Amino acid sequence: MARAVADDAAAGGGRPGGREEHERPRPRARDVGLAIVALVVVAAAVFRPLLEDLLDQPAIAHWATVFVAIVVQAMPFLVLGVTISAAVAAFVPDDLLARALPSRPVFAVPAAAAAGVALPGCECGSVPIAGRLVDRGMLPAAALAFLLSAPAINPIVLVATAVAFPGRPEIVAARFLASLLSAMVVGLVWARTGRDELLRITRGRKVDEGPPLSVMMATAQHDLLNAGGFLIIGAATAATLQTAVPRSALDSLGGSSVLAFVAMAGLAVVMAICSEADAFVAASFTAVPMTARLVFMVVGPMVDVKLIALQAGTFGRSFAARFAPLTLLVAMASSALIGWWLL
Amino acid sequence: MVVALTAAGGTITLLIGTVLLRLAVTGTYRRYVRVGMGPWLAVAGCALVLLGVLTLVRVIRRDRLDADPIHDHGAGGVGWLLLAPIAALLLVAPPTLGSFGIERGATVDVRAGPAVFEPLRGAGPFPMTLLEFGQRAFEHAGASLANATVSLTGFVAAPGAGGFELARYQIACCAADATPVVVRVMGVFGDVPPADQWVRVTGRSGSVNGDIPELVATSVVEIATPDDPYE
Repeated sequence: MARAVADDAAAGGGRPGGREEHERPRPRARDVGLAIVALVVVAAAVFRPLLEDLLDQPAIAHWATVFVAIVVQAMPFLVLGVTISAAVAAFVPDDLLARALPSRPVFAVPAAAAAGVALPGCECGSVPIAGRLVDRGMLPAAALAFLLSAPAINPIVLVATAVAFPGRPEIVAARFLASLLSAMVVGLVWARTGRDELLRITRGRKVDEGPPLSVMMATAQHDLLNAGGFLIIGAATAATLQTAVPRSALDSLGGSSVLAFVAMAGLAVVMAICSEADAFVAASFTAVPMTARLVFMVVGPMVDVKLIALQAGTFGRSFAARFAPLTLLVAMASSALIGWWLL
Repeated sequence: MVVALTAAGGTITLLIGTVLLRLAVTGTYRRYVRVGMGPWLAVAGCALVLLGVLTLVRVIRRDRLDADPIHDHGAGGVGWLLLAPIAALLLVAPPTLGSFGIERGATVDVRAGPAVFEPLRGAGPFPMTLLEFGQRAFEHAGASLANATVSLTGFVAAPGAGGFELARYQIACCAADATPVVVRVMGVFGDVPPADQWVRVTGRSGSVNGDIPELVATSVVEIATPDDPYE
């Protein structure tokens, strides 16, 4: 187990392709893994007074609270996403999705983006689902469009937006349209120019073989640990940035609408707020122009530090390095367009 | 390719499930997320405990049968990182957000409240949220407060001579999106409580010139951290 951990860490935490020859069962390897778990728990218990002293420092306590809050709040959604993803792996036959969806990207991408309406939840759940859909033979561009649209345009998020901006239905409409537009454009751009070979996904791979329920369990276990681990990286990054960068720095930008627009897009990336909550935070920036608050709500569910970590873990680093900037640019452009039109 | 399950992966899953269940049962989760999340945390916790136990049972069974060679990949590298919040939450639960974030974050703008409030009737003190107090104070220069006595609960930030800032966070989803509401408390005689001390302040609305509403205190009582620390 210790060897497997080292290999995985070197490969960015994913499954190292083509390393099969190294994968010899090691006697007692499992005991090493268990020993590490036990060691961490015991060490934490021994150093408990030290941890408590650390939490007396206000900045560290603030960091720890935000970090734990992001993890705790994401867990139910991650469990939901992993369950759906595992069910897809276990019960959806190979190539069913490929046959069910139109094969041409021009039709498949908008259809998949619009299907995002049906998945209630936030962004943490949609990453493992999209990974599994590609796995099951869905056109990658279509799965990516779904990945981007699902957390942004589902009913829960739209209702939250309506509650956060009472009496302003045009903001809900603008968010819906700008998010859907971004998802479709990114999907189509990826279909034209994207490099699917960057996606570290093997078609038809199964995490385990056997009866559907045992496949489902093995997949759930695998996806949970993988996505969960990257969620921790993202949550720690977001907590660090939130503790280090004072949000009040933004209020001084209220005067310049272009600066505020760019700053709010950047803030959405570093704050990594759940898509069900970002409307309330956007509403709290009263000094910032409405279009800048729109870009905050459009970028947030599609690109943020937590999501980049999750995407890198699911699809590979070189994929995330191209996909995240592309998505950010498209989301900003479509927010500017829709904001200029509607707000 | 067969990736088998490992005892370590199952144990980590079981531990996360236990931590979530414990947060839900003890109510500690209210420090991090909205009160309404409790049942969902319990459901997620149960699901993870179940998954962890099933995984362990399967690993042990396979061990006995020694049926096929195990590829030890269950914890998938980064999965180990899940031990960080487990260790943090099993042993020391981080506190609720305190005064550290007050001067760093944008505060809730209470000037953008509902148009008109019903005037307060009857004898006070009227308990209300900091948000409601602020909105009332700015609505027609505090007409609906009509010099009534109100009682506000929050924690102390920026304590100074004769007063402090009373603050409480609003959260929409979790503590990562917390935005504070701040009320300036004036006219405190004697010792001002230290920063982060939770207090219940009774008093009347003061001037409404700046961005922050003012409360002229008649009494300041130190209290324990409330069960639901966010508004």
